[in-house]
Amino acid sequence: MAYQAEISRKNPGCFLFLIDQSESMEDPFGGGEAGRRKAEELATILNKLIHNLCIRCSKSDSIYDYFHVGVLGYSEESCKPALGGELSGHSLVPISELASKPLRIEERIKKSDDGAGGVLDQTVKFPVWFDPYWKGGTPMCAALKEATRILETWCQEHPKGFPPIVINITDGEATDGDLVVEARKLTAVGGDDGSVLLLNIHLSSTAGPSIELPTNANKLPDQHAKQLFQASSTLTPFMVARAKELGMPAAENSRGFIFNAQPLHVIHFLDIGTRPANVHLR
Amino acid sequence: MAPPAVKHAKAATECDIKVFSCPKLGNSLEEYEDAWAHRQTRTPVGIRVAVADGATESSFAKLWAVLLAESYVRSEVTGAEFFAQLKPARRLWRRRLAGRPLPWFASEKAEQGAFAAFLGVQIDNNRWTALAVGDCCLMQVDNVGEGMRVVETFPLQKSSQFTMSPYLIGSRSIGDSLNERIQISKGSLRDGDMLLLATDAVAAWLLKQHEEGRPLWKWLYRKLSTPESFAAMVAYGRKNGLRNDDFTLVRVIHHDLPVEAKAS
Repeated sequence: MAYQAEISRKNPGCFLFLIDQSESMEDPFGGGEAGRRKAEELATILNKLIHNLCIRCSKSDSIYDYFHVGVLGYSEESCKPALGGELSGHSLVPISELASKPLRIEERIKKSDDGAGGVLDQTVKFPVWFDPYWKGGTPMCAALKEATRILETWCQEHPKGFPPIVINITDGEATDGDLVVEARKLTAVGGDDGSVLLLNIHLSSTAGPSIELPTNANKLPDQHAKQLFQASSTLTPFMVARAKELGMPAAENSRGFIFNAQPLHVIHFLDIGTRPANVHLR
Repeated sequence: MAPPAVKHAKAATECDIKVFSCPKLGNSLEEYEDAWAHRQTRTPVGIRVAVADGATESSFAKLWAVLLAESYVRSEVTGAEFFAQLKPARRLWRRRLAGRPLPWFASEKAEQGAFAAFLGVQIDNNRWTALAVGDCCLMQVDNVGEGMRVVETFPLQKSSQFTMSPYLIGSRSIGDSLNERIQISKGSLRDGDMLLLATDAVAAWLLKQHEEGRPLWKWLYRKLSTPESFAAMVAYGRKNGLRNDDFTLVRVIHHDLPVEAKAS
């Protein structure tokens, strides 16, 4: 049966993020507070996802390489690795590399319960791997092709591994071809445990309710969203069960598609061991 | 590793206790995050046994599991009030981390606290009282008949009830809904009864074997005696549906009090 491989340091999982850095990402985001750009929302999502992955893999005073993680940015005419600083030029790196090499670590004030009915200001570390960026067109097909190339190699090197999960974060329209065709090629790549799963996060300027893990495209607001839905993988039964457990509206045949919502739960669609139900996700 | 059997010949309750354990395949012994403890009660009327299972997705979980198991066997209470007595254990957990230089991710993870499942059992005068939070499991099997009979399983009854995200006891705070998650059960023992205290993966697998008509109770009772025999069971299990995890199994065989011990 597919999608059963155990994720461990010897047999790591893989997350590859594809991020839209086209100029339309400068436009306002329809799903959040007024005046916020889609590019800013994307950077927030990506920083939070990587942050949470690091915390998941953190173990006592070290970090276990349960995952390899990569980020490809697409803008203008091409797609290229988007990790910066010391990780510049790398397509995929072990999670420990990301944890130890963010672009910078900011200090932010977090409000927390003081245990006596009051609120306490607490200084917390806030690592940043990405800053908002936008320029040119949306070569999403080039990104899907590059992901296919990188993950073919990864799957050859990890034939028994849990299939890679690709998370594409975009405002919608590919300017370089038919994204559904390229998505099919990407999701045909795989190993002994099944093929690549593609999840699409659609950040739209269209205001409206967020939509998570739909089973059909009926309520999606435009053609771009419908096309991204078509390109998204059907969730595995385990992922559907986990999504429900996390309070998401998943059902059999749900697609890995999220419209105008923060997809922070998706990194919990894979297991690395017992997770306390009473730890609240950030 | 497995200590020798402990006999409490002069206790009002006499039990043979053996503990078997091994770390997750691919992990070192230092990475084993279960814990167990047993101890004769202060007044010599019985024994207390505990197992705890530190959660993989939490930090410094081994330390917390050890503190939970040790706190139970040194305590005298058998009910929910045990969890209100964990302040010293929590303080000790925090103290062990204090001043330790940690990178940002380890520091943030430690802020969440460590988490563990817990099961404690007190046995005295042919009665047992069990206290649990999470998915460590107690199985009572009697020694009547050829096949042996499952008398009780607690707090879970079926292999399908085990999940990857149970409610666990945290090292940082009591938790809002702990009281709703505490489970208590009681039962009686007959001569020769076997109690098994197991962490989740091995408990789920033993129940699954039972459900599918391949119970291992008799083998556990009569053949399981050395670390080698436990390793053989684990090797068989890994080929037959036993999930890769840390494994801990405490076997307690109860005997009615010998006449000479009663007289003393």
